[in-house]
Amino acid sequence: MHELLRSYGRTLTGVFITLTAFWMLIMILLPQAFMIEHSLWWIDRDDQLGMRIDRAYSDMGLLEFDLGQADTPEGKADIQERIDGLKADIAAMEAEETAPPKHYGFDNYTKMSALHFEIFLKSIGYSLAVTILALIVCYPIAFTIAKLSTPNKAALLMLGLIVPYAINELLRVYAWLMILDYQGVINSLLAWLGLVSFEDKSWVPFLEYSGSVFVALIYAYVLFMIFPIYNTVETLDRNQLEASEDLGAGVIRTHLRVVIPHAKPGIAVGCIMTFMLSVGSYSVPQIMTRGKSGDWFSQLIYRQFFESQNWNSGAAYSFSLVLVCLGFILIMMKVFKVGIRDIAK
Amino acid sequence: MSTQRQGRDWSTLVLDIYVVVFFVYLFAPLLVMSLAAFNAYEYPSVTQWRGWTLQWFGELARDDRILQGVVNSLIVALGVILVALPLGLSGAFILTRLRGRYNNLLYAILVSPLLIPGIVLGISTLIFWGRVDVPGGLFLTVMAQGSFIAAYSMLLFMARLQRQDRGLEEAALDLGASSFFMFRRITVPFLMPTILTAAVIAFLQSIENYNTTVFAIGGDWTLVTEIGSRFRFGLSPVINVIGVIFVVFTVIAASVYVLQKERERKRKLAR
Repeated sequence: MHELLRSYGRTLTGVFITLTAFWMLIMILLPQAFMIEHSLWWIDRDDQLGMRIDRAYSDMGLLEFDLGQADTPEGKADIQERIDGLKADIAAMEAEETAPPKHYGFDNYTKMSALHFEIFLKSIGYSLAVTILALIVCYPIAFTIAKLSTPNKAALLMLGLIVPYAINELLRVYAWLMILDYQGVINSLLAWLGLVSFEDKSWVPFLEYSGSVFVALIYAYVLFMIFPIYNTVETLDRNQLEASEDLGAGVIRTHLRVVIPHAKPGIAVGCIMTFMLSVGSYSVPQIMTRGKSGDWFSQLIYRQFFESQNWNSGAAYSFSLVLVCLGFILIMMKVFKVGIRDIAK
Repeated sequence: MSTQRQGRDWSTLVLDIYVVVFFVYLFAPLLVMSLAAFNAYEYPSVTQWRGWTLQWFGELARDDRILQGVVNSLIVALGVILVALPLGLSGAFILTRLRGRYNNLLYAILVSPLLIPGIVLGISTLIFWGRVDVPGGLFLTVMAQGSFIAAYSMLLFMARLQRQDRGLEEAALDLGASSFFMFRRITVPFLMPTILTAAVIAFLQSIENYNTTVFAIGGDWTLVTEIGSRFRFGLSPVINVIGVIFVVFTVIAASVYVLQKERERKRKLAR
C-alpha cells in the first residue's frame, strides 16, 4: 500500500482500489454468491391450493345459510365458531397463495432427475474426451510450429491458426452443421457413392447422434489447446533438444523427458480451457442438435431459466458446472504441479 | 548416423503431412460455409447447387434485425472497452505494486471469470441484477462480458508493468513532479501500446461472445445472439453471407497483424 501511495498519490491509489473493489465485488463475488444463494432455496407451490380455497368458500356459503336457518342460540354460536375457523383457514391459504413459502435446503441439487443427471454425466464425459483428443491432436502441431519451422513458415502457420480462431464460434459450428446435415456434404458424398439415397430418405442422420456435437466441440475449441502449448514450447531452448539427441535419446524420449516437462504449464492451461469451454458450451449443442437429438447440460440450464422459469434449479445446475470446472482445475494443478500464477497468464 | 538422419527425414515428412491435414481440417468447413453464401438455393447448401448469386448479400442489407444487432453489438463492445480497461488496469496496478499476503487470493479471484464457463457468468449476472430489478439487456451484457474481459486486459497490463523500469517514475517524482503528472506523462505513455492492444482484444472478445451474452441479453439482441436464434427459425444463406464477411475481415486483420509482427522481428534482428 505504501509503495502505491508513494508513487501514485492518494487520488489515483483510491481510484485503483475503488475500481478493483467494484470489479471484485459487484462483477465477480456478489453475483456468484447470489447465484449460490438462489440455488439453496425453492418456493413450494401447492397445485391443489386454488381448489382448496374454492371448496372452503363454498363450505362457508353453506354454513352462512345454516346460520340463517339455525333456531337456537347455542346452534348459532356453534355455526358462527365454525365460520370463524373457516375464515381463518381461508386467510391462511390465500396468504400462502400470494406468497408461497420459501424453503431452504439442498433439494435443487439432490432432486435433479435421473435423466438430467445422466445428461450432466454425459456432458462431462464428452468434454473430457474432447480435451484428451484435442491434446493429442494439438501437441504435434504446436511443437512443429514452435520448433521445427523456419521463422517465415512459422509466421504463416500462425496466421493459419489465428484466422479460424478469430472467426465466430457460431459460424464455425454452423459449417459443421452444413457438413453433417441430412442433405449435407457427407451424405451427398455417400449418395454419390450410391450408399444412401435422398429419394427414400435413407441418409445417415448424423445430427441425431451425440457424436455430431462431439465433432463440432473439437472443431470449435481445438485451437484453445494449441496456443498455450505453443507459447510454452516456444520458450524451450533448441540446444536442449540437440543435447538430448546427442546424448542418445530418441524422439519419444526427448519429448517425454525434455519437451513435455517444459511445456507442462501450457498443457495444463490448454486442458483447462478446452474442458471448461466444452462443458459450458451452449452454442455448439444448440446449433448441432437443433432439438433433434437430446439436450446437453448447458441446454438444460437454459431451459430452466427461459422456458420453465425455474431459476432456483437453474442456479443449482449452473453452480454444479462451476464445481465441476473447479474440480478439473485442481486436478490439473495437482497432476502438472503448477500454481494458479502459471495457469492464468 | 545415416540411419538416424533418414529416420528424421521420415518423421519430418510425416509431421508435414499431418500439419497439412490439420489445416485442411481447419479450413475446409469454412470454405463450405462461405461457398453456400453464393448459392441461389434458399436453404444453405453446397450440394444442391442452383447457380451463383449475390442475392443473399442484398437480403442481408435489408435485414433490419441483423443491422440493429450490429449496432447493439457495437454499443456493447464500446461499453465493455470502457468498463474492462480501467478495471483491468487498476487490478494490474494493485497486483504488481502491492506485495501482500492476500496477493495470490486477489489474483485468483480476479482471473476466476476466465476459468469458469461463460454461461455461468451470464447467469450469475442475471440473478444478481435481478435482485435490484434490473432485467437482462445491453447493460447486463456489458457487466457480464466485462467481468472476464477485464481479466484479459489485466493480464496484458500486468505483463507490461512487470517490464517497466520503475526508475523513470522515481526520477520524475524526485524531480518534483506530482504523482498525477508523473502518471500522465510517464506511466500512461509507457502503457499506451498495451492499452491499444487491450482495447482491440476487448472489442473482438465482446463482438464474438455468445455463451455469456445469450443469458444476459434479455429481450434485446446482438449480432451474434440474432445469428444464434436464426438456427431455430429462419435459417437462410444470409447467415452464410455474414460468415463470408467475417472470414474476409479476419483474414485481412490477421495478415496485417502477422506482417506487422514479422516486420518488428526483422527490425530487431537488424539491430
